[in-house]
Amino acid sequence: MKKFWALLLTMAMAVSVLTGCGESAQTQTDTAGNAEQAETGNADAGDNAAQAEAGENAQAEAAGLDMSNTVKIGILVSDATTAEALAFRTYYTDYIQKQYNVEMIYSDELTDAAGETSAIDTFITNNCKAVISFSSFDRAAQIEQCEGAGVYYAVATGTLTEEEYETYKGYEHYVGAIGPSLDVEFETGYNMAKHYLDQGKTNFAIFGGAIPYYTEMHIYRAAGMITAMVEAGGDGASYQGATAKEAIIGQIFADGEVKTGSVGNISILGYVGGYDMDDAWFGKCAQMAQTTGLEVILAVGNGSDFFGTAIAGTDVKIASVDAYASSYGEAMEAGMLDYLAGKFSASIGPIFIATYRAALGAPVRTAEGNALALSQGYWIAQNAEEFNAYYAVDSSVEAPAYTKELLDTLLTADYAAFEEFVGKYSFEEIQGM
Amino acid sequence: MKKAKIRTYMLNLTPLLGLAVLFVAFLAFGTMRDINISYGLKSIMNQSVVVAVVATGAIFIYTLGSFDISLGASAAVSALIGAMVYNRTESISAMAAACIGIAVFIGLLNSVLASVFNLPVFVTTIAMLSVLNALVLVLIKVNGTGSEIAVPAAAVRAINNMPFKIIVLLCFFLLCVFLFSFTKIGRMQKFQGGNPVCAKLSGISEKKMAIIAFALSGIGVGLGAFLSIIYAPTLTRNTASSVGMDVIIAIVFGGMPVSGGARSKIYAAVIGAFSMTLLGQIMVMFNLNSGIGQMVKAVIFLLVVFLATSGQRGKMLPR
Amino acid sequence: MEKTGWLKKIAGIAGIPLAAFFITTILCGVQGVKLFETEGNWILFFRAAASVMLTTFALSLNLNSGRFDFSIGSVALLSSVISASVCTAAGLPTPVMLLLSILSGALLGLVSGMVYVIVKLPPIIVSLGVALFYEGFAFSITKGYGVSFVANLELTSFPGVVNYLLVIVCGLLLFVFLFDYTKFGYDYKALLSGQKVAVNTGIGEIPNAVGCYTIAGALMGAVGFISATNTGTIQMALNFGSIGTMFTAFLPMFIGGFIGRFCNEKIGYLLGAVTTAFISLMYARLNVDASIQQIVTALILVGFLIYLNNENKIIELVMLKKYLKKRQI
Repeated sequence: MKKFWALLLTMAMAVSVLTGCGESAQTQTDTAGNAEQAETGNADAGDNAAQAEAGENAQAEAAGLDMSNTVKIGILVSDATTAEALAFRTYYTDYIQKQYNVEMIYSDELTDAAGETSAIDTFITNNCKAVISFSSFDRAAQIEQCEGAGVYYAVATGTLTEEEYETYKGYEHYVGAIGPSLDVEFETGYNMAKHYLDQGKTNFAIFGGAIPYYTEMHIYRAAGMITAMVEAGGDGASYQGATAKEAIIGQIFADGEVKTGSVGNISILGYVGGYDMDDAWFGKCAQMAQTTGLEVILAVGNGSDFFGTAIAGTDVKIASVDAYASSYGEAMEAGMLDYLAGKFSASIGPIFIATYRAALGAPVRTAEGNALALSQGYWIAQNAEEFNAYYAVDSSVEAPAYTKELLDTLLTADYAAFEEFVGKYSFEEIQGM
Repeated sequence: MKKAKIRTYMLNLTPLLGLAVLFVAFLAFGTMRDINISYGLKSIMNQSVVVAVVATGAIFIYTLGSFDISLGASAAVSALIGAMVYNRTESISAMAAACIGIAVFIGLLNSVLASVFNLPVFVTTIAMLSVLNALVLVLIKVNGTGSEIAVPAAAVRAINNMPFKIIVLLCFFLLCVFLFSFTKIGRMQKFQGGNPVCAKLSGISEKKMAIIAFALSGIGVGLGAFLSIIYAPTLTRNTASSVGMDVIIAIVFGGMPVSGGARSKIYAAVIGAFSMTLLGQIMVMFNLNSGIGQMVKAVIFLLVVFLATSGQRGKMLPR
Repeated sequence: MEKTGWLKKIAGIAGIPLAAFFITTILCGVQGVKLFETEGNWILFFRAAASVMLTTFALSLNLNSGRFDFSIGSVALLSSVISASVCTAAGLPTPVMLLLSILSGALLGLVSGMVYVIVKLPPIIVSLGVALFYEGFAFSITKGYGVSFVANLELTSFPGVVNYLLVIVCGLLLFVFLFDYTKFGYDYKALLSGQKVAVNTGIGEIPNAVGCYTIAGALMGAVGFISATNTGTIQMALNFGSIGTMFTAFLPMFIGGFIGRFCNEKIGYLLGAVTTAFISLMYARLNVDASIQQIVTALILVGFLIYLNNENKIIELVMLKKYLKKRQI
């Protein structure tokens, strides 16, 4: 009898799980290899298939590309749960995979360089022709591994350092990188702080996100914020004695944190870094948000989720850098988020096309034959109305910012056209395309 | 009687059969999905070897009916110090010695602390986990670039190959098999784990057994740390972070009873580590999303362990 | 003699939390910071005390019976995901969310307990599988996004000293009642001290074990609720990311075990939680780095256990020193 119960329980669990698998497998079957489907999602499925097939054949002919075989692309991710990571994943799996004859194979949430190496090995085993990486524990090792295996490799939402680019730009299988450069990250932080300094705000707190873990993009964003404060702080204003951009970046690298104190007339009243998520950490967050006299919390990452409830009912503003998620819209409407520099999910469309083209045998390279190194920026929402307009486009899996129609123009584009396309990343510019 | 013997024999073989079934499934699904099977086998070896080595050493701890939750953190600290030693000496042997030395030292510290201060071993390993995790952050901050400590890839390229890894795994495995099955140490460990009271009355020192088990486990952790550096020479704050839980799962997956004692199997770790990797590879072929993939893994894990231990259940609930 | 006994008892009960209070106050004072300055500090203190106390109850009630449970964090995660999803979708108020959290936690605990008694695998193994399953389930039902209700002022209005105090008092009273004044509690204690004898005398081990898992689940449901309503967000965890919750309860559990010699053990757990709440508040007030926090907490744990396991030897040593000192004089 007990064995019966044991078997019943196991079978029930297995069935419940396999039901989930079934759905997923179904989705997979519907998506992979279904390039025939859909130019847009508005028409019915039959029309879509016919239209898409006709459209794609024409495009393929024009590009001289053979798109008849499904191309497998491995996606390396070090984050599977943030709004940004999920938005990117939705764009690839729910839009790109339905529009092009590709199959995206995702890695588990990677935590170290060994995980990256293992995941690339697994992609190669599964005959992936290319890898798009959202993980950066050891970029050099990833590029070398892919080059050695003859698999194309691209960096999404990031860039290589100048030194790395010089080393790898000539590698045959290194496609390139498209994403916010460190200069863009600096500018993002700078513009965010300047937005409030121009309003006459003088009392700030900074949420440093992954600064204690020495994540470069967060350090550059914070350095941008502080540079703006130094500029607005009046004569003799400095941050720990540093006034120039490079010196401020160096100071944060040296400290592994942002120091509180005065920057001329401007005050950094509080600082919290890391993502410890324990009682003490949440206590630090609440304490910082409730500091007397505080006017603005500048977050290098997600701010409203950690500080929103603590500032409820006060005049303190929160500014974040993240992505376009529905919860941020609600936070903006409720006054818990005032400014959002968000990556738009379709921003990873161009790097997909560059990678796809490489896998199809028509890579896009610079005039010198080098890999791409193109920078993109953020969409800035300063009120709920702007946010809603951006979010409507960003969250759409029928008509996202970069639709198939737009991306198809890149299939035949030369480097100059590709660069021009990527450079027009603002919401208005994309809508005008 | 004969039937019962055959049943017990078959049940003992269940983990091995599980491994065989997973291997066949890998080949079958792989062929259907037209994957690169030969590369896949190499990849499976690469992905299993660290957990296999660490878990093989840890069998000695599990045999005592104890467990160590700090193995992953210990591997991380050993690897970081090993990398720092390489960067100072540019000697691979010095790096290997440092990895093993540090891991054995941590293991001994765990057991000596437990022995000298009469603490339950698992409690010292919980405290050690916190200390070692903090040490990882401190080491990277003090000695690295801030976010990592790296050994030049070229330095380890020559030994980042299959034969070397297989030799390391095989040598350590054979050493453990010898100690576990053919020496007094193994017998005493099993006796101690199976019946601590009788073992004590027979003159076996519990403290001595714990120290030996943790030292041997330390060798495994050190070798695992060394192999980790060879495989991925850039070490960050989460290096080897999954090893701790992977070791527990591999050991159980391989048919090792968590209560230790006479039924302990030294080969459980290797079988479990390879089974886990094979399962992971098969799941990738089905391209499940993270949540569903994890649920499937959980069910298969429980199912395999349930089948593998179906001969070991008593009337009372196990603790 | 009687007076000395009472004094000893009071010292045993209040000694550790009072020592923690004085030490943390002094350490803050040295840095020119007050331990309790704003309402936020009080809220943090009582939230930590409530959350850690309930986690300690949940961990200890199975661990004391030799059942190591890695899944309590995943139960807190999944139960809060369920309750928050339902309440945000249906616009339900905070008390309903608390109730739903507790009920879904109890249900998840019940499932966990049923798996344990049916498959009869060692609890540590079952808890590993269950933790993975629940984490994966929470991820799947929220499509990985977790739940965010930062802007829901009703649900995020829970944090407050009075509410946390109510949680502490109700949790403690219920726990004491269940384990000290019911047949279930007597059976639990009998099974605790002698599994074989208790089973042979006819005590139903299986219902008791399932009951324990269910109660632990309900407690973790409340913990999940406290955590979710603190910030209005529930972040997802995969690959055992949820087991960290369990580690917060070890120190208060051991402290509670010690204090339990002088009073009811459950009050000991509460005072253990109060002790760790003082420490957490001090970390927050002094902005202590995470790596230093980890080391200090581990050293306190080891130090305390060393004392606990060698108390007699330490007392003998102190007495010997006193004796030798007297002799010298």
